[in-house]
Amino acid sequence: MSALNGIQVLELAESVGGEYCGKLLADFGAAVIKIEKPGCGSPTRRLGPQATGERDGECSGLFAYLNTNKQSLAFDIATPVGAATLDKLLGRMDIVIDDHAVDWLNNVGIDLENIEQKHPALVLCSITAFGRTPPAERLYAEDLTVFHSSGWGYHTPSGEDSQPPLKGAGRFLTSYEAGLEAALCVVSALYERETSGLGRVIEVSKQEVLASRIDYVLGQMIAGDMDVGTARTQFDLAGPAGIFPCRDGYAYIWMSAPGHWDALRKLLGNPTWMDAFPERWLERECTPERVAECRRHVAAWLQTQNKHEVAAVAQKLGLTLVAVNNAKDLFESEQYQFRKFFAEVNHPVLGSALYPTVPYKLSETPAQLAAPAPLLGQHNDVLGQHLEMSRAHLVDAGERQ
Amino acid sequence: MSVKTRSEKPQNMRGGPLQGVRVVELTKVWAGPYAGKLLAFLGAEVIRVESEGALDVTRTYGVTDINNAPGFQAVNPQKLSVQIDMKTEEGVQLILDLVKKSDILIENLRPGAVRRLGLDYATVKAAKPDIIYTSMGMYGTEGPLSYQTGYAPCFAALGGLSALVGYAGGAPAGMNIRYADSTFGTIAAYASMVALLHRRRSGVGQFIDVSAVESMTSMIGDSVMDFSLNGVIRECDGNRHAEMAPHGVYPCRGGDWISVAVAADSAWRELAAIMGRPELATDAQYSTLAARKANEVELDRLVSTWTADRDVAELVVLLQRRGVAAAKSQNSVDLIADQQLWARDFFHAVTNSDGATRPVVGPGWTMSRSADISAGAPRLGEHNSYIFGDILGLTVAEQEQLAAAGITR
Repeated sequence: MSALNGIQVLELAESVGGEYCGKLLADFGAAVIKIEKPGCGSPTRRLGPQATGERDGECSGLFAYLNTNKQSLAFDIATPVGAATLDKLLGRMDIVIDDHAVDWLNNVGIDLENIEQKHPALVLCSITAFGRTPPAERLYAEDLTVFHSSGWGYHTPSGEDSQPPLKGAGRFLTSYEAGLEAALCVVSALYERETSGLGRVIEVSKQEVLASRIDYVLGQMIAGDMDVGTARTQFDLAGPAGIFPCRDGYAYIWMSAPGHWDALRKLLGNPTWMDAFPERWLERECTPERVAECRRHVAAWLQTQNKHEVAAVAQKLGLTLVAVNNAKDLFESEQYQFRKFFAEVNHPVLGSALYPTVPYKLSETPAQLAAPAPLLGQHNDVLGQHLEMSRAHLVDAGERQ
Repeated sequence: MSVKTRSEKPQNMRGGPLQGVRVVELTKVWAGPYAGKLLAFLGAEVIRVESEGALDVTRTYGVTDINNAPGFQAVNPQKLSVQIDMKTEEGVQLILDLVKKSDILIENLRPGAVRRLGLDYATVKAAKPDIIYTSMGMYGTEGPLSYQTGYAPCFAALGGLSALVGYAGGAPAGMNIRYADSTFGTIAAYASMVALLHRRRSGVGQFIDVSAVESMTSMIGDSVMDFSLNGVIRECDGNRHAEMAPHGVYPCRGGDWISVAVAADSAWRELAAIMGRPELATDAQYSTLAARKANEVELDRLVSTWTADRDVAELVVLLQRRGVAAAKSQNSVDLIADQQLWARDFFHAVTNSDGATRPVVGPGWTMSRSADISAGAPRLGEHNSYIFGDILGLTVAEQEQLAAAGITR
């Protein structure tokens, strides 16, 4: 039993943002039916990381991750029968998730202007790059271009202005953020629907999601309380914080308060170079020269240290020093193991592997990776019956091509 | 810009999906307050418990007027503020009384703090059995490393993000230093809402333990899968993308940058044509994605050379007209001047208690029957009389007594 048992979700989405939203719901027990094109299925089936395997479209680690606990129903909604089938399905759903370009929903016969009249209890969420009425110069978008429209891109990484601005971590951070926002809205809408019986149309703009994530800075900038400018360092904070090489990788140090400086002194064994610094320089006299000098000494020392060991010692002294973890470190993290962040999933083609679960532990209704991502059309038989769609109906809708 | 008049409606009658939901925040800085802000923007009545003796650093950072602190104002619009000294027994009892009349409690205090204060889940649950208690910590509340603390960039480093951001072959450079808190807050808000929905359907509340570090890993789940399935440890790779080329940020005239992402061969043909190099589209070195990936250094050089002396806005229009995904890499001046963000009311003005208006950053959604967002961040203790009087039913004399005793300072 989890929190969203009994909630019916139709996932029309075919990219990372919508599929991640669906996953967030499915891992809490919602029944998520993923509509896929016969023959090829969701485009995310063709995106990496691909595991070695023989079955085309069934070896994507991305798809496997994004679609745990979902059911796949393959039929072509672009045929007249398919459109009728989709319409019938809508009447049985609590939630619809889409993440296509703005005109797509209309093209498959879902008109947002009258959906609330037609299906008053339906919660429909549309995730797009720039909202549903983008200007002509924002019609075509990928996660990279949205990230760079939001302010994050230009200022990534911090402290850099000689090389090109970067994309952020991984390929899909923009989409994960938008999918998360969508899931929050959908569940909030469901909460209210429990008493009102009314659905809702929700529109999530990826650009606005990302821009809202920098509200602490952007909110001050639009109010005139923080300087704006064309500098790549405009979001930055002064100070010696940063990533430093260690013997076995990298560590990140944050220092902003006298307590951090005291802890650093203990960690380093009270070196004489620190005596030249005023005691409260981090707060009051944080000059670029001092930052550079401090960084030089810290860098030299950290190169003799191992990242996990030095972090454990530093943390106990009150210095916020942490390892810069890679994927292997995460799997080996005793904290992740304690919290069982990775869980084994057995996939019929990919076999057994550890998947990331969710970052929240709910005492009564924990999220669960109960079932692997579906094979393309895996649930046509069972869903066809359940939804009273005859085999002939699905075949007519291009089930097999 | 539309200026919204401060609503005369009570905070708990602003519409939106969470109208009627009451949230108590025991939070600091950005991550916890961001979770509360999202719930407030969805219509909930969100109450920040504050005290002169333990002010949030965002109320004091760089300013003398704690009621006009820009950072605080940016992250706390549409909330209520009540003054209660959590370090007194009476204060703790007041908070428990308030929680009895609330639905969700969110805390992101230092590890162990709520236990020391006497506001841990077991105690709160005894007072309010069906409370949703959301605890936010760098590593979660339990486990061998749960004693450790850090700021946002630490979450990104520990969660695996920083290692992925940087230039190919170089040291990790990390995400922007501001990244992590707001994402962590959103994740806490989502989990809280799942639990609240469950309570509405079952009557049962629960404890939620959210990890900032794991929240970060959730933003790179697919990269982590590469290690799980293939043993591959992903490293920083500039702007590379396995399924797109070109995929990068290229220099333009005047120090501007343009981001361009090409997935389909058809888009590459358009780009080659716009560049005045149609022959590249059929050149065996670039005609397919695999070929472009194999020759990506040279490909990036070709694109950079073409963009370098051109105007970024003109390039974007040119590329978009032919179906190529492209956008200016927006600096902070571009952002606050983004016409679409203003036209869509993403930036809109709210009114503070002194009548002054101030623009705030909206949420990432629009929805039918949405909540009214028209009030600025609260003054310290602005809602003391509403909360002590209307919610907790204390008489004016009782409130005066508490104030005199320093419990509600």
